[in-house]
This record gives sequence, structure tokens and C-alpha cells, in this order.
Amino acid sequence: MIVLLALWITACSQKPEALQYGKDACVHCMMTIMDRKFGAEIVTSKGKIYKFDSAECMLGYISEKRGQFGDADTYLVVNYKSGGTLMDARKCAYIHDQKISSPMGGNLAALASEQEAKTFLGNGKLLTWNELVK
Amino acid sequence: MKRISLICLFAVAVTVASHARTLVVAVDTALPDLKAAVAEAADGDTIKVKKGYYYSYNTLITKRLTIIGDGYPVLDANYKEEVVTILANGVTFSGFVLKNSKTGSMRDYAGIRLHKVHNVTISNNRLINNFFGIYLSDCDHVSVIGNTTNGTGTELTAGNGIHAWQCHDVIIMNNYSTRHRDGIYFEFVKKSRIISNTSERNFRYGLHFMFSDDDLYQKNTFRNNGSGVAVMYSKRIRMFDNLFIENWGSSIYGLLLKDITRSQIVGNRFVRNTTGIYMEGCNLMTANDNIFINNGWAMRILANCENGRFERNNFESNSFDVTTNGLLNLNKFDQNYWDKYEGYDLNKDGTGDVPYRPVSLYAQIMEQIPQSVMLMRSFMVNLLDKVERAIPSLTPESVKDINPKMKPWTR
Repeated sequence: MIVLLALWITACSQKPEALQYGKDACVHCMMTIMDRKFGAEIVTSKGKIYKFDSAECMLGYISEKRGQFGDADTYLVVNYKSGGTLMDARKCAYIHDQKISSPMGGNLAALASEQEAKTFLGNGKLLTWNELVK
Repeated sequence: MKRISLICLFAVAVTVASHARTLVVAVDTALPDLKAAVAEAADGDTIKVKKGYYYSYNTLITKRLTIIGDGYPVLDANYKEEVVTILANGVTFSGFVLKNSKTGSMRDYAGIRLHKVHNVTISNNRLINNFFGIYLSDCDHVSVIGNTTNGTGTELTAGNGIHAWQCHDVIIMNNYSTRHRDGIYFEFVKKSRIISNTSERNFRYGLHFMFSDDDLYQKNTFRNNGSGVAVMYSKRIRMFDNLFIENWGSSIYGLLLKDITRSQIVGNRFVRNTTGIYMEGCNLMTANDNIFINNGWAMRILANCENGRFERNNFESNSFDVTTNGLLNLNKFDQNYWDKYEGYDLNKDGTGDVPYRPVSLYAQIMEQIPQSVMLMRSFMVNLLDKVERAIPSLTPESVKDINPKMKPWTR
């Protein structure tokens, strides 16, 4: 009974899962997730996990499945600077720059803060999450 | 008059020839490395590099030169830079060993980089342990022939073997690529040809198309890669006479097609892949005269594919011939050979008299409940399939071959 209960509790947890580079495949474009500078993940309020190889793929998936995801779900993106670490996508700053070769040609990099983003900015454009999901 | 002009032409040719010099690079001479020779040379000259070991920290080729390695001299970037960058038109670069470019950085360091050039030939080089092998950006009319590139071999610091971005009219022929991320990668590359290359043991794909139109790949071998070939968001790709072999594992495909239109898959062989062809969001596809042997799934066609034609293919010893998640209404199967066909041919015209339905009931169940794979080849599953064959009720009615062949096509 306790085991079952424990299983039930873990099954409902909303913990994000680390992206397994070289193993996991992107739900949207089907590509194997390879580049540590990029990646994204949705953890739904029910704990279901969707993995993406890039922020643009997650955005594409969200707009394709319009209405399936909402405020209760957690969006995560990988830090372009440190690579591999997931951050809350809503709080991140984004750079759109031709020089950034993200996996799906979105030229999009996610960074922890506006300050951090400015160090990579160059000729690119600084964006917020709300501007991206529009 | 004619004779005079001929003589003039000859004289011009001679003077041009006499002006073109050949510079020889060798260790411990006046020209100790390629960089010194490039500085010395003029357009049209030839540089011969003698056998030896040279360090090359991003040597820039800025003149129209023919650069030839004699006995495979080694150019080593010692993990500090790119090895060679070609920035001039009409360069020929041949016969070198290029190794140890810098890896895993924000920049894509390469063994040989070409930027904004045309009429360049890169041939018979051996690239070892570079982040990216040969990197083409903004190029046209470039030939990459007979090179081998052996990547870093670690997943996280592997770039692509031959990488082309925003190019057109490129020829990639007789190359070998291994231990890279993608063996050959095309992004925004138009009207190009990939002929007789081999890609094996690359981490992601043997060959990868993104947003690239009107390309041809023919007679290539894709063995034991993450997946064989991925064609995504592209139009009018011709895929002829290739071999897709042993691309095996979960979410691994021989040929992965995603959102492509008007493409042809003809005369290919798919052998021992987890999934031979996977199609999602593909329109107006033709897959004719292919052979599928010993695959887990020969073809997985998602319901959002329309107007596909699948004719004269051989399906032999695959666990599943065709699976789908819907009805596949607008796709047509005709005159294929299916080894699982149990019909008869009373008029002996070589074509079965009853249609064959390639989607088995069990395949439909698998689609809904993947765990049911453990029932494979069990008595119950065989019984289910037999009953469904006799009285079709659950499998999609539209997916059928009305002219199934009694004997495999020979080719």
C-alpha cells in the first residue's frame, strides 16, 4: 500500500527532467537533441514532459497545439551561455540574431537575464518571452 | 587573319603559363609553411607542399591558387583555431591531412572552411579530429570530392562532417564521413548533388536536409548512424539508389521525412532498420521500386500525409509492412510485392486476385498501446490477424494494394 502510494505521488510530481543530449528526440521536429547550447522542455500541470531541441521548436509546438498548454504548465529553456541547464522560460531574456545557429533555424538563444543577454547581443535583437509567444 | 589571331592566342597562353609559378613548401626552407607560400604567391600560381608536419592556425587562402599536398603533408591546428579558410574563387585544395581544429565553442570551427566563394574544388583530403570537417557558407559551384572526415567521436563536441549553409550548385561526391554529428548537413542549399558518399556511425544523421530544395542524393550508403537520412521542411528532393542499412534503436529511422513535398524515393534499399521510412506531414510523395528487407517497420506513414504513391516496392521479412495512426485516405499502394500476402492468382497473370491490406490489426493495436509489443508472434496475435484478414473490420479500408504481385520484383 505504501509502495503504491509512493508510486502515486511520484507519478504526479511536476519535476522537470534533464535533457539527455544525444538520446532524447524533439517532440516537434523529431530530431535528436544534440546541441547543449539549445533545448527546451514543457512540464504540464499533470507532470507530462515534452522535450524539444530548441526554443523555436517549443514555440512552434505550443502554437500548433493551440489551447493545449496554459498558465499552469511550466516552460523551460536551456541557457545558451552555460549549456545544458534548464531555466524558467517566462523569466528568460532572448536574443534573435542571424549569427546564432540554433537547430531549427530560429536564430534564437535563451539567457538567464537581460544583463546576461546583453553580453551576447551584437547586432541581434533582445526579446522577452511574452514577445515570443505572440 | 585567322592564323594571326591563333598565334596571338598562343602567345597569350604562353605568357600566362610562364607567369604562373610553382612554389614548393618544405620544412626548414625559405618557404617553411603554407602561410608563407600564400603570402609569396600571386593569382594563378601553384603551391606544392612536401610531405611533413606543419602547424596551421587558420591559414587564409586569399588568392586564386592550386594547392597540392605531396604525400599527404599534415596541417595541425593544435586545438587552437580552424585549420584552413578559403576566401578566394577558383581555388583547388587537394591531398592534405587536416587535423585538430578547436571544438565545442560558440563558433563552428572547421578543418576546411569556405566562405563566399565559387568554383572551388576540395579533393582527396583526410580530415581527422576536427569539430566540423568541411564547412561551406554562402558558396556556389563548389566540388567536394573524395575526402574522408573522421570527427571527434564524442557526442557533445561533434560538429558535422560536411556542412553546407546557404549554398547552391554544390557537388558532394565520393566522400566518407564518420563520428560526426551529421555526416552531411544541408541548410538552405539548393540545386545540389550528393553522389556515392558513405556516412557511417555518425551521432545524429548520415545526411540531413533542412529547408533545402531541388537537391539530388544518389548511390550513397548510410550505415549505423543515429538515423540514416532526415529530410525536413524541403521540396523536390530526389532520393535515388541509396542504401540505408542498420540504423537501429528507439526513435531511429532509415529515412525520416518531415514536412516535405513533391519528393521522389526511387530504387533504394532499406535493410535492417528499426523503421525503414517514417513520414510525417508529407505531400505528393512517390516511393517506387524500393526494397525493404528485415526492418522492424518498413514504412510508418502518419495520417497527415496526402497524395502519396507507393508502387512496385518489395516488402520482405519486415515485422510490420505499413503502420499508420489514421486512414491514409489519399495515398495509393499499387503493384507491390508483399511476402505476407496469402492470396491466390487463378488467372496466373502474376498479380494476386484479392487485394492485400498491409496494415495488420496487431499493428493498429501497437499504435495505440506500444506495450503490446510483448505479444508479438504470439498465438493470440496471429489469430487476431487471421480473423481480421478474413473479415476486415478495424483496419483502415483505404489502405490496400489492389494489384499485389505474386513474386518479388527483380532488379
